[in-house]
Amino acid sequence: MAPKIALVLLVSLAGTAFAQGFKPTRPIEVVVHTGPGGGSDLLARSVVTMIEKEKLVPVRMQVVNKAGGGSTVAASYLAEKAGEPHTIGFFTGVWLTSPLTSAEAKVTLRDLTPVARLVLEPALIAVKADAPFKTLGDFVAAAKEKPGQLKQSGGSVTSRDNVVRQLLQKSSGARWAFISFPGGGERIAALLGGHVNMMVIEPAEAGEHIRAGNMRVLAQVADRRLAAFPNVPTLKEAGFDVPAVPQVRGVVAPPGIPAANVAYWEDVFRRLTRTASWKKYLEDNQFEDGYQNAAGLAKFYDEFTGTMRGILQEAGVKIVR
Amino acid sequence: MEIFSGLIHGFALALQPANLLWCFVGVFLGTVVGIMPGLGPPATIAMLLPLTFLMNPASAMIMLAGIYYGAKYGGSTTSILLNVPGESASIVTCLDGYQMAKKGRAGAALGIAAIASFVAGTVGVLGLMFVAPPLARFALAFSSPEYFALMSLGLAMVVLLAGHSIVKALLAMLVGLWISSIGTDLFSSTSRFTFGRMELLSGIDFIVVAIGVFALGEVLANLEAVEEPQALPVPKGLRNLLPTLQDLKDCRFAFANGSIVGFLVGVLPGGGSTIASFISYGIEKAVSKRPEQFGKGVVEGVAAPEGANNSETGGALVPLLTLGIPGSGTTAILLAALVLWGFKPGPLFISENPSLFWSLVASMYIGNIMLLVLNLPLVPLFAQVLRTPAYVLYPVILGVSMVGVYSISGSVFDVGLLAGFGLLGYVMRKLDFPSAPLILGLVLGGALERALRQSLMMSEGSLSILVARPISAVMLSLALLILLMPLFSKVNAWRRKLL
Repeated sequence: MAPKIALVLLVSLAGTAFAQGFKPTRPIEVVVHTGPGGGSDLLARSVVTMIEKEKLVPVRMQVVNKAGGGSTVAASYLAEKAGEPHTIGFFTGVWLTSPLTSAEAKVTLRDLTPVARLVLEPALIAVKADAPFKTLGDFVAAAKEKPGQLKQSGGSVTSRDNVVRQLLQKSSGARWAFISFPGGGERIAALLGGHVNMMVIEPAEAGEHIRAGNMRVLAQVADRRLAAFPNVPTLKEAGFDVPAVPQVRGVVAPPGIPAANVAYWEDVFRRLTRTASWKKYLEDNQFEDGYQNAAGLAKFYDEFTGTMRGILQEAGVKIVR
Repeated sequence: MEIFSGLIHGFALALQPANLLWCFVGVFLGTVVGIMPGLGPPATIAMLLPLTFLMNPASAMIMLAGIYYGAKYGGSTTSILLNVPGESASIVTCLDGYQMAKKGRAGAALGIAAIASFVAGTVGVLGLMFVAPPLARFALAFSSPEYFALMSLGLAMVVLLAGHSIVKALLAMLVGLWISSIGTDLFSSTSRFTFGRMELLSGIDFIVVAIGVFALGEVLANLEAVEEPQALPVPKGLRNLLPTLQDLKDCRFAFANGSIVGFLVGVLPGGGSTIASFISYGIEKAVSKRPEQFGKGVVEGVAAPEGANNSETGGALVPLLTLGIPGSGTTAILLAALVLWGFKPGPLFISENPSLFWSLVASMYIGNIMLLVLNLPLVPLFAQVLRTPAYVLYPVILGVSMVGVYSISGSVFDVGLLAGFGLLGYVMRKLDFPSAPLILGLVLGGALERALRQSLMMSEGSLSILVARPISAVMLSLALLILLMPLFSKVNAWRRKLL
């Protein structure tokens, strides 16, 4: 009941617009930046199913795919919907980094209305099971011995995979190559085929390869150990004092919508994160609950882009904004 | 023995009425999705995913797989009838399929596409059943240098797709390669040739280019006719609408070629059915006794690529089910679906879920038969489309093309691009530039560039990595051989002249 009381308090404090509150009257458009089947699309469709099951929103919610240009087409679409109360969008880390590196990606999260952060995705640092490295320290020491010879497979240069590498390289002075592959499957195939030495992988992706004895985990990119990996040290525990870069997912709204609407959506998603189905969803996908309200998300955004700008600059990526 | 007991168990499950029904729903939806240009299996499966929670996982998997391979059957329909590729995998089918339709052999083309799909689809399932684990290891031996060699081999096919002039074919291919470089570079995150348009940041979908150049180009070229163009000929009588015994004879090699090439390319996580269909078409032409007829409507030019794109499905399921590694957009969604249903796809998946695996395999045999039975009677029906007078048919092609392109990502910008590429296709026709090399360059360009840059990163800048590895060395030599083929035939012709 506590959040409801808080909401009532907020409502009474905020004057007329607030007092009337906001209740959607038309179907809600849920914008995602991937095509059907992409990570964001699957999250959005699962969330919509859960919200409908728990009857958190009185109207239907419809996922709309605005793919193209990484996240830029979806972000611009939301920006064009300024003031539209029946549209929300799901953002991920790429919404935060694209504006830093492409001049065409003009809309930042700050230009939209932050609503809530929902999910933090931790990651693991994995090697092939027959690799000589038993700890992250072993790997880094080997990389130091033969600078540039060891290889890591990963996504694009702005992906979390590369950011983790940059941070580790900077703190240790070691150097190894980063090879970009567009698809997650290709990254894993490169590691299992012995063509690269290490990769940063999501726990749900790695789990079965570890169980089958093909892959070994050296460390986890998380602030505290994940339930599924109680014996694997975090980066800090492994002796590397670098931030555990999170992969984030959350909700934004178009610019210029009333505070009452923000409060409404904040409340819907806060209630969603309390449900059993949400907890099971997080567990199944090995995500971490990353709930933050609008104010927290805005602060997170400022800090995150500040850090990323520095890291990417050091990685030799051209920063445009 | 284990395989047979597994298969019998699988058939026992797949033949249950409910599973038969879901298998039919899947292949039927797949056929429909395949026929409609634009909307592809990944989008369909993603949209149906919430519904599958109400089903038992085996039925759901049977249905979703049915959509996947069913779409490969349907994809050839609009390629042959309208020169509009229904799926990216059916682009190659346009080359000879549409020419056959123009000659009044649309029925034979549609029929042979269905038969080739059935043969190769079944071979793909056999492969999945018998050789999946060793092939999965073969797939892992493939890395960037090998992919570079594979893409080079594909690009070398350009000499086989060339019309009168190799130079024009190479120029068209270069344009295709250039288009493939548009967008954000994966390795540096810089924008290339985007002209400040955010719509171009993720590049141009090659299906937009293919529909523009093939379908719109054709419509524009036909608009020139001063006289009312005649409706395409459609022979009367059911017998004349189906492939003849001679057709089947001509396709014997194409069936085998398509089945094997498609399956092998499908097993590779970086392969894909479009590449498979191009390569099998090239091989077919290279070994054919009548290569000069290709592109003018030969039946094996339809059978080889259509077979390849169907057995690719069985191949693509190999890394998914034996390693938990998805190689394409559709298998990535199937992987997500398995996770959502509470399975753990990975190296232990088959041994821990034998029932699911074997009922899927059995259902694919059944599904392929259903598709043949479903598609063959449709052939005479679809062939009637061509009786439509030109003043109706061309606007319909325009409409189907635009709706198809718009449905890929809901972007009006893409429809504009489509118009642009339609003009390009028209100009290329007028100047006698072949359009297939352009599509070939576009399809292979991105993967070729990535594989080369990845290889050079692995070797710290040394090109020797490309020839030092056996698989890649063999494929590069083959590519060179194919590139030199026109030269040989020139020398031969010259010698004959002298003698």
